[in-house]
Amino acid sequence: MKDFKYFKPSSLEEASRLLLQYGEAASILNGGTDLIVRMHEGLSHPEAVIDIKGIGGLNEITFDKETGLTIGACVTMKEMEKHPMLLEKYRVLAEACHSVGSCQVRNRATMVGNITNASPLADTATPLLALDAFVQVYASEEGIREISIHDFFVYVRKTCLKAGDIVTGVRIPNYDENVFGHYQKHARRDAVDLSTVCASVVKVGGKIRIALGSVAPTPVRLWQTEAFLEGKSLNPEVIEAAAKIAVGEVNPITDIRATKEYRQEIVGVLVKRGLEEIAK
Amino acid sequence: MKYEINFTINKEMISLAVIPNKTLLEMIREDLDLTGAKEGCGAGECGACTVLVDGKPVNACLMLAVEADGKEIITVEGLATETELDELQQAFIDHAALQCGYCTPGMIMSGKALLMENPTPTVEEVVDAISGNLCRCTGYKKIVEAIMHVSENNANK
Ligand SMILES: Cc1cc2nc3c(=O)[nH]c(=O)nc-3n(C[C@H](O)[C@H](O)[C@H](O)COP(=O)(O)OP(=O)(O)OC[C@H]3O[C@@H](n4cnc5c(N)ncnc54)[C@H](O)[C@@H]3O)c2cc1C
Ligand code: FES
Ligand code: FES
Repeated sequence: MKDFKYFKPSSLEEASRLLLQYGEAASILNGGTDLIVRMHEGLSHPEAVIDIKGIGGLNEITFDKETGLTIGACVTMKEMEKHPMLLEKYRVLAEACHSVGSCQVRNRATMVGNITNASPLADTATPLLALDAFVQVYASEEGIREISIHDFFVYVRKTCLKAGDIVTGVRIPNYDENVFGHYQKHARRDAVDLSTVCASVVKVGGKIRIALGSVAPTPVRLWQTEAFLEGKSLNPEVIEAAAKIAVGEVNPITDIRATKEYRQEIVGVLVKRGLEEIAK
Repeated sequence: MKYEINFTINKEMISLAVIPNKTLLEMIREDLDLTGAKEGCGAGECGACTVLVDGKPVNACLMLAVEADGKEIITVEGLATETELDELQQAFIDHAALQCGYCTPGMIMSGKALLMENPTPTVEEVVDAISGNLCRCTGYKKIVEAIMHVSENNANK
């Protein structure tokens, strides 16, 4: 690991000022499970590392009926996976958190780090896409603004964040009923592996929502498949047809984890399983 | 540049000046001479470096030493008393849950963290808790048995 300057600001203002001062040469440090690995492997060598864990108010999970559920930027996956509100109302997200890495990783890793790192396979991205989440971002001029999760991911490892931006949390709208459906992760082995394909197939407000990861440069929502399902009852023929549309809607690549063709096959299987679960 | 940090390790208060590009694992092993925690992969994959930070198991290879400021750290060296092993350490010996021993400090810290949070875990919970710890020689069966032994003892208390 190369030498760098370490800062632990206690306010968003101070953190943002440091980020702007160092520009491209600055990196935000949250749980460090992506950043420190990259630094260790020589893929990142920031001049300034800005640890945001000293900033107050980023550690909480709050809920109210008007705004929904807000998860602070420094809340760990481990805290999320066992949070009673997530388990009851937004279970698919708790399940996605639990599927990440190991206990040791989840005690440090945050959901905000996961989505900001913007890997196409980020496990917490698909539940957030399915639930129409908002990313809350602080910038020194504007204060806090909200970005729809649908606008957040731009490309592999690229988000729409600008220099100096700090994600302060993620907000998920309140839905009257509990979100129904499960998170599915297909990986080479059961524990501590990255997704070959992952899927959130859920029912919210009487509507089916489908989001997939590791099948395109960013995690994606399957709008066409959802439109096809609108107003239809989930019988075996409809489910079969929806799975076919889903396969046509994604654009996976071949990499070390799987071939393009294998991923396409798995997309069909996961969408089918997810819909069958909801149809039960 | 060096950064002054204060923390406790195995209940001892420590003040130290550390360089920023040093991991918690390197500090523990090289500056504090506590060589229980091991480096296997240096990338969060193997769990050989597992220590408890504020009671929670983390990969010491994925945390910067400077981040230890204000924290309470426990390593495998902090489990036994002067005269007696921790019951989980004893259970590993009794169940022959180690061969080369490289993974053992990490396994024990993951098991210990689970037992501190939940004194009577099930087999499934034990397997989940040690899923981030790789063992290449003993196999996981005896390791799970050793942790379950403590769990069952706790249930009978
Ligand atoms: C062994 C291992 C297994 C893993 N398994 C999985 C897995 O199964 N699934 C998976 O999806 N991921 C996995 N990961 C990747 C990683 O754990 C996650 O992506 C993690 O959630 C990142 O969060 P963090 O808090 O550790 O981020 P950090 O490493 O601290 O940061 C990640 C990136 O986001 C930026 N960032 C962080 N917070 C903010 C913020 N508030 N505002 C702006 N930018 C910010 C950082 O600058 C950095 O570029 C694994 C990693 C390891 C080491
Ligand atoms: S050395 Fe830390 S997880 Fe392998
Ligand atoms: S005892 Fe050798 S790696 Fe586990």
